[in-house]
Amino acid sequence: MQKQRRLKVIAAGIILLCGIALLVIVGIKRTSVRHFTPAVLVVDGDRMDNQQVQVDGLIAEGSSKWDAVNFKLTFAVQDRETAATVNVIYKDRLKPDNFTDGGSVFVEGKYDAAQNLIVASKLMTKCASKYEGAESATPTDETSYISE
Amino acid sequence: MTAEIGQAAIFLSVLSGLWAIGFLCIGLRTRNQNAVRSGRNAVVATFILVSIATGALIYGFVTDDFSMRYVVEVSSAAQPLLYKITALWGRMSGSLLFWLWLLTVAGVIVVWQNHRHTKETSDTLSDYALIPMAVVQLFFIILVTGIIEGVYNPLERFPNGQMAPDGAGMNPLLQTPSMAFHPPTLYIGWISLTVPFAFAVGALASGRIGSDWILRSRRWTLFSWIILTIGITLGGNWAYRELGWGGYWAWDPVENASFMPWLLCTAYLHSVMIQEKRNMLKLWNILLVTLAFQFTLLGTFITRSGIISSVHAFAQSDIGGYFLGFILVSTTGVIGLIIYRWKRLKSANRLESLLSRESAFILNNWLLVGLTLIILWGTLWPIISEAINGQKSSVPEAFFNQIVIIPGLLLLFLTGAGPIISWKKITANNFQRMFLLPLAIGLASGGLTWGFLALKGTTSALYSVLCVSVGVFVIAAISAEFYRGAKLRAKRQNTSFLNGLNLLIQRNKRRYGGYIIHIGIVILYIGIMGSKGYFLLESKSLRMGESMEVGQFQLTMKDSFEKEFENYRRTGVVFDVAKNGKQIGTMEPARHFYYKTGQGEQDTIESAIRHFGVNDFYIALGSIPPNVKTGGVVNVQAYYNPLIGVVWIGVAVMVLGGIVAIAEKSEHNNDS
Repeated sequence: MQKQRRLKVIAAGIILLCGIALLVIVGIKRTSVRHFTPAVLVVDGDRMDNQQVQVDGLIAEGSSKWDAVNFKLTFAVQDRETAATVNVIYKDRLKPDNFTDGGSVFVEGKYDAAQNLIVASKLMTKCASKYEGAESATPTDETSYISE
Repeated sequence: MTAEIGQAAIFLSVLSGLWAIGFLCIGLRTRNQNAVRSGRNAVVATFILVSIATGALIYGFVTDDFSMRYVVEVSSAAQPLLYKITALWGRMSGSLLFWLWLLTVAGVIVVWQNHRHTKETSDTLSDYALIPMAVVQLFFIILVTGIIEGVYNPLERFPNGQMAPDGAGMNPLLQTPSMAFHPPTLYIGWISLTVPFAFAVGALASGRIGSDWILRSRRWTLFSWIILTIGITLGGNWAYRELGWGGYWAWDPVENASFMPWLLCTAYLHSVMIQEKRNMLKLWNILLVTLAFQFTLLGTFITRSGIISSVHAFAQSDIGGYFLGFILVSTTGVIGLIIYRWKRLKSANRLESLLSRESAFILNNWLLVGLTLIILWGTLWPIISEAINGQKSSVPEAFFNQIVIIPGLLLLFLTGAGPIISWKKITANNFQRMFLLPLAIGLASGGLTWGFLALKGTTSALYSVLCVSVGVFVIAAISAEFYRGAKLRAKRQNTSFLNGLNLLIQRNKRRYGGYIIHIGIVILYIGIMGSKGYFLLESKSLRMGESMEVGQFQLTMKDSFEKEFENYRRTGVVFDVAKNGKQIGTMEPARHFYYKTGQGEQDTIESAIRHFGVNDFYIALGSIPPNVKTGGVVNVQAYYNPLIGVVWIGVAVMVLGGIVAIAEKSEHNNDS
């Protein structure tokens, strides 16, 4: 009797665990988005044509254009190390706070390899001074100080 | 001078921390009361020393001491006094000191509670619990001394007597009351979880693995749960009002980091009842509380190590590694103790049936822990995917939104089924008496919801129908519990029904407080269902005089304004708002342009929110061109968020239930 109950509990546990694992696997399969740097995406582009991608880089200097009439933001994400860039179009959404040329940006959207263009569905900016600057900054880094 | 005193206090607290650990260990081992007392005093000394250091830092803020590096980074002369003080936890070094200070406060309270307790009985459990507390404190003390690379001492001055003319100041977005109090609320919640963990370790070390450690730390756990509930909600509420994206929860890694300990704490609050009632799950409880504590540290690791990118954009630093190291070392310690006490951790009782209250509790635990693991997996997916196939991927919000639905609905069902199912084994009688009516009412309301949504033309409303049916089932089941209990009391005491209800709750605050929380959960679910499932969003470029439509609402841009304030300029537009063609008033969304913050110029969204009962209408604007009155275009994003007010109400009811439950004294335990 006791043993049988124990088996039942273990079986219930396994079923639940499998259920959760299944949820996770299906969920990941369906939603997981691959992450690129602009340099890699440009090279690998054809393989990712018409697929969801994430790109992390810098907003290329002088590239951003805000078209208020058409509610449209266009810019290029530049690789942090090379000169490779990917064009981005972001429509019908407000420009995020702290969006300035040269700043860090994270883009998620569908990639069009022929035009090297991401139609973005999500845009995140990061500004070092926003919440937390690099703690290792030396005291003379950003502000000017007077010596006594 | 004060900064130097503070620094000295921090270094001295290393000694008092070591003293506490050493003397408590030796004293408890050799049953030397004097050594134990000395160890306790060292815990108090640590508190005093850390308080001095924290006080010195606050003094630096208040007196605008810009020779101190931390003060320069988070404060400025023009910052209002309140935000000068809350700058204490504005960045990493200071928030670690603040965390440490709260830990020492918890340590002193444990000493004090023990002092009160030992007047009646002689007992060493609390003294054992002080050892892990002191170890955790020591870890934080070492972090704030600044001897570890990557974290500096918050009381450090610039070298060579350098001094900044003014500080950089705090980000204006953070200068709102709810942002000032959101981080410390979470910290307090996390730190309170250290105490039940310490008692679990104390129980293992002392060999007293009964339910004593659970009873002794019960109020700490509940307190932590209440505070975490408030803290997480404050964060969501702030994001909703300040960030201009119309939502309150986005499954950001930092949000997940605060949510996972909450889930584990909830699981633990339930599983301890099984140990108290049926003397089962001893090992599980220890593991669960350890896990909950470790997740409070893991959150810091995730957000501070820079391994996961997050909108919270914390600095990447080495500190994550130290947290991970501490997590591994302390977990290994706990596992060692568990192996050492293995024989005593065996349960006296076994599960008798899969359909029983015990099973409902266990299923609740599995689901909550399962949910935690799902969220952890999703949060760490960028690292995991890179490790598996060398290709970094991540999962969007949609992953979490979809995956929590099924476990979430099962959990919701349990909030109603758990309280009414019988212990040991469900009987036909129990099922008929307790389940039939609530189930029928639940199914009926599900049907009505389906009809209502179908009439409105909503298809694929399966989850909404399920959510409503299960939610109504829970409310019916729990109301019936209240009703039966109150009627019985009223009859026995020969008094009115309301008096009976009051007596019922008074006599068993823990149980009925818990039921009130369950009702709050149902309300919260309904709010989430409405605001996540049925929100509307419209974006449009508008010129003066032009209109747009969002659901039943029409917006017409009719005017613009500009106003100068002390450190920012407010520009915005005025909308005429009509509902179904009927004029109902105006709304004035705006932008704030900060130019005196010391952090460079900053242009922020100041959304306008209007409540229609529990539904919100929400407008956010893009920047406003100077020629707005003469044909310039403004970008408008307007949201209709149905039932969002219900989210806040649900949380308020949960907190209320928590307060009722925590009012019950720990010592007696009279669940009927």
